[in-house]
Amino acid sequence: MLLALTSIILLTLDLQGSSATSTVRTVFGVVFRPIESVTRVITRPLSNSWYGITHYDDVDTQNQLLREKIAQQEGAAVAAAASVRLSQELLALNGLPTLAGINSVTAQVIGDSPSNYLQSIEINQGSESGINIGMPVLNAAGLVGRVTRVFADRAVVMLITDPEYALSVKVVSTPRSVTATTIANEQSATTVTVEPIPDTTVATTVPVATIPGFTPGATTVPATPVGVTTLTIPISGTLAIRETGILEGQGSSRPPTVRFISTDQRFGAIEVGAPIVSSGGSMSLAPPDIVIGVVSRVVPRLGTAGPLLEIKLVADLSNLSFLRILLYQPITERVTP
Amino acid sequence: MSRLLAIAASRWTRLMLLALILLSLQTTVLSDLRPFGVMVPLMLLFAVAVGAVHGSEIGAITGMVVGVMYDCVLTSPLGLSSLVFAAAAIGAGLLPYFVREPTWWSRLIAVATFAAIGEMLNPVAQGIIGLSGWLHPRIFVIGFVVAVMAGLTAPILMPLSRWTLRESVSR
Repeated sequence: MLLALTSIILLTLDLQGSSATSTVRTVFGVVFRPIESVTRVITRPLSNSWYGITHYDDVDTQNQLLREKIAQQEGAAVAAAASVRLSQELLALNGLPTLAGINSVTAQVIGDSPSNYLQSIEINQGSESGINIGMPVLNAAGLVGRVTRVFADRAVVMLITDPEYALSVKVVSTPRSVTATTIANEQSATTVTVEPIPDTTVATTVPVATIPGFTPGATTVPATPVGVTTLTIPISGTLAIRETGILEGQGSSRPPTVRFISTDQRFGAIEVGAPIVSSGGSMSLAPPDIVIGVVSRVVPRLGTAGPLLEIKLVADLSNLSFLRILLYQPITERVTP
Repeated sequence: MSRLLAIAASRWTRLMLLALILLSLQTTVLSDLRPFGVMVPLMLLFAVAVGAVHGSEIGAITGMVVGVMYDCVLTSPLGLSSLVFAAAAIGAGLLPYFVREPTWWSRLIAVATFAAIGEMLNPVAQGIIGLSGWLHPRIFVIGFVVAVMAGLTAPILMPLSRWTLRESVSR
């Protein structure tokens, strides 16, 4: 009975944010970390052997798939880089925030959560690198989670699948089909053609040279009309429409969901495959337009609750190695001198 | 000086030192090796093994101690694991009330059963204090795997707990 009461008192103190429990954790961490480091070094061969035995075939298959995928994406990456640069320039011209303007720190994952009921990882960078609680964590694919505990040289990251995780997001309703193609030629300018396929309307194609107010520089016209530079401008009805909602983790075995989506007629029906990005804002812990995932399932609900969206994350949370922590703090959190 | 040596040689000091080693294994190698995607909760298994070998009272104290240490490295509230571990260890310690002369295999079954119950009790306790979201059918899979792993590790953990918490060191 006494032990149960002690546990309940500890729980109450910790849930109320008592500094005493934080001190206990910190002191314990100081004692425990050297022991953990030694054990990690000793047991690493065992872990590596385990991975070698259980994952060899997967790694071999993945390696082949990745080689094929790299070959496919080399061309697309050029077009993507050009589009991103163009987008950033446009955002900068309009005074809008971009991810490129936010400093970041690269960290390596050094440990998984030692529990079946926590979705968190440990990284090897901490407050000495400028990391603070709440900062968003990304990998090469997209958002992974946020920093929840910070020590001098390490930090704990809560993954996006943890039930405690919540973030304001945008659902981007795109035109039905969008393709991007790059035709690179030494004698011709780069061509980026985006062709949305609307339901009933036809996209308007305007040659670059005829856009009012636009004066092209020196342009080499190729002998054949294949490389002619054209810019396809979608009509306003086919532009992406955005709707905000709240993304919440559901545990490791279930996909995260987005709720509080408005049933606005203008937004229309949400299709499977619609991208989900962070919405940003002065209160949000993440800047806008971080890629999170795509809608994998739409669960309609009655009344004003709006649909519930299940999300397929773009980041593979089961295989995290190097991460990027955006040193971003919302305006409301910044300490002014 | 002799008093200090007596404290250093006591079974509770041994328990603390062993728990630190077990915790370091828990946060390193066992966090990586996850059979069927389930992490083996070594700290819980040890607490339950102590309960099965030494009875409810010693099991509860051990569960409390290792639970607080485990909570210190987690982001969950301090005291949650200690409450769950102590409850599971008390349950395993009740074995003599049901089996007149427990054999090694009846203790092994008790360890496996109460380890699974303890692991499944964790999300229930989280739900009670408002950390909902973990109560889903997968906890039964987790419970089953933990029971199997408890059955496999109990032949090591029970002698270990017997050595750690014996009354005095033989001279």
